[in-house]
Amino acid sequence: MANIQLVVFALDNQEYGIDASAVNGILRSKKFKIEFLPGMPKEIAGMINLRGQIKFIYNLRMKFGFAEKALSDESKFIMLNVNDSVCGWIVDEVTDIVRIDDAELQNAPAFITGVNNSYIKGIGKVDDRLIVILDPERILSIEDVESIESAAVVK
Amino acid sequence: MQANSAKGQQNNWGRQSSDIQNIKLADVIDLKFLQRFQDDFAKGVGLASVTVDPDGTPVTNPSSYTRFCMDYTHSTECGDKRCAESHRKGGEEAARTGKPVVYECHAGLIDFAAPIMLEGRLIGTILGGQVLTELPDEAKYRKIASEIGVDGDGYIEAVHEIRKLSRESIEAAANVLFDVANSMSKSAYHQRKLKAVVETLSDGVSQISATMEELAATATSVSGTQSSLNQEIKNVNTVTGKIDEVMEFIKDIADETRLLGLNAAIEAARAGEAGLGFGVVAQEIRKLSGDSKQTVGKIKELTTSIKESVDKTVSMGNETTSIVEQQAAAIQEVTASVQELLSLTEQLNDLAGEV
Repeated sequence: MANIQLVVFALDNQEYGIDASAVNGILRSKKFKIEFLPGMPKEIAGMINLRGQIKFIYNLRMKFGFAEKALSDESKFIMLNVNDSVCGWIVDEVTDIVRIDDAELQNAPAFITGVNNSYIKGIGKVDDRLIVILDPERILSIEDVESIESAAVVK
Repeated sequence: MQANSAKGQQNNWGRQSSDIQNIKLADVIDLKFLQRFQDDFAKGVGLASVTVDPDGTPVTNPSSYTRFCMDYTHSTECGDKRCAESHRKGGEEAARTGKPVVYECHAGLIDFAAPIMLEGRLIGTILGGQVLTELPDEAKYRKIASEIGVDGDGYIEAVHEIRKLSRESIEAAANVLFDVANSMSKSAYHQRKLKAVVETLSDGVSQISATMEELAATATSVSGTQSSLNQEIKNVNTVTGKIDEVMEFIKDIADETRLLGLNAAIEAARAGEAGLGFGVVAQEIRKLSGDSKQTVGKIKELTTSIKESVDKTVSMGNETTSIVEQQAAAIQEVTASVQELLSLTEQLNDLAGEV
C-alpha cells in the first residue's frame, strides 16, 4: 500500500503536516537571529544566515491570519524546497514525523479547493489525531517568492 | 543552676538559725559601753550591779559593790558559795519568767535579776541590788554571820551602811536596766539579721548578674552560629542554581538531539526505501532525547523543591536571628537592672554595717 511521510508541526494547538519530501530540514529558531527586512509584506518575518547563505523566513501565522506570537525556546524553522529555492516557516513546535497510508488520507473538501486557491491539500488521520496537510507550493505562491527575490536584489 | 541557688539559700538560712544558738552577749552589746552604763547607773541610783553570761560567769566588773558583800559575805568560801547559789536562783527565775525579778538574797539583802533575752533565749543577766527596804533586824544578821563564819559585830556595822530603798525604786531600777539591755541587744541582733539577709541578697544578685553575663555570651554565640548557618544554607541555593544551569545545558543537548533525530528522519524519508532502516534509528534518537528531557524536568522539580526548602529555612533562620537579638536586648536590660540592684544591696550593706 502506498503511503507518504509527513513532518507534523503545531500552530496554536492544531497539528499541520507537510510532505517530508518537500522538507529540507528543521532548525531551532533560538540558534538564529532573524534580520528584519524593510518594505516586505508582513508574512515575511525576515532573513537568516544559514551556513553562509541567506534564507527567507515566512511568518505562517500572518499568512493564516492568526494572532502574532513571540518566538519561544521550542519554536522551529521548517526549511522547505519550494520553487527551486529554500525558505523557512516559523512553527510553534515540530511534533512528529509520521507515515500515513493513502487510505487514511482524505482530500480537501471540494468547496474549499474550488472557491479559492486553498492551501489545504487534504486531512490525514493518525489514530485520534487529525492532521491538516498543507500545500507549500500554494502557500508560497510564485508571486511571493519573486517579490522576495527582487527585494533582495534591490537591497 | 536552680538547684545550686536553692541550696545556697538553704545554707544561708542554716547559718542564720545557728547564729541565734551561738550568739553571745558580747556579740550584740558593746561590753565597754555596758560597763560604763552599769557603773554610772549604779552610782546614780545607789545600787550595786554586775552582768553575767548564762553560765553565771561575770562579763563586766562589779559596780558599786558594798563592803557588806565584798569584805564580809564573799570573804568566806561558804559565803561565796551561798552568794553564787542565790544569784543562780535569781537568774533562773528571771530566765523562766523573762522579766526582772526582785528577791531577798541568802544574806538578807534585796537583789534583782534582769534577764537579757533574744528571741526567747537567755544570753545574759544583769544582777544587782545589795540594798534594804527597811531597817535591818540585827539578830537575823548575827545568825547569818555565824552561818558563813564572819565577825558578827563587823557584819552588823556593815549592814547598817547598806542603802535603804523602796521596793518600787528597786523594781523601777531593775526595769530600766532590763529595758535598756534588751532593746539594745534586740536592735543589734536585728541589725545582724539584716546584714545576713543583705549578704544573701547580694550573693543572689551577684549570681544573677553572672548568669546574665553567661546568657548574653550564649545569645551572642547563638546569633553568630545562626548567621553562619544562614550563609551555609544560602550556599546550597547557589549550588542548586548551578545544577539548574547544568540542567539547562543538558536540556539544550536533548533538544539538539531531538532535532538531529527529526532531520535524520526527514533524510531517511527522502531516501525512500533505502532510508527505512535509518528511519528506525532516527526514531530511537528522538525517543532517547524525549527521555532525557523528561529526566531534566524531574531534576528541575527536585532542585525547585530544594530551593523552596532552603528559602523557608533561611527565612526561619532570619526569624531565629531576630528573636535571639531581641533576647540579647532583653538580657542587656535585665543586666542593667541587676547592676542597679547590686549597687542598692551594696548601699544596704553599708547601712547595715553603720547602724
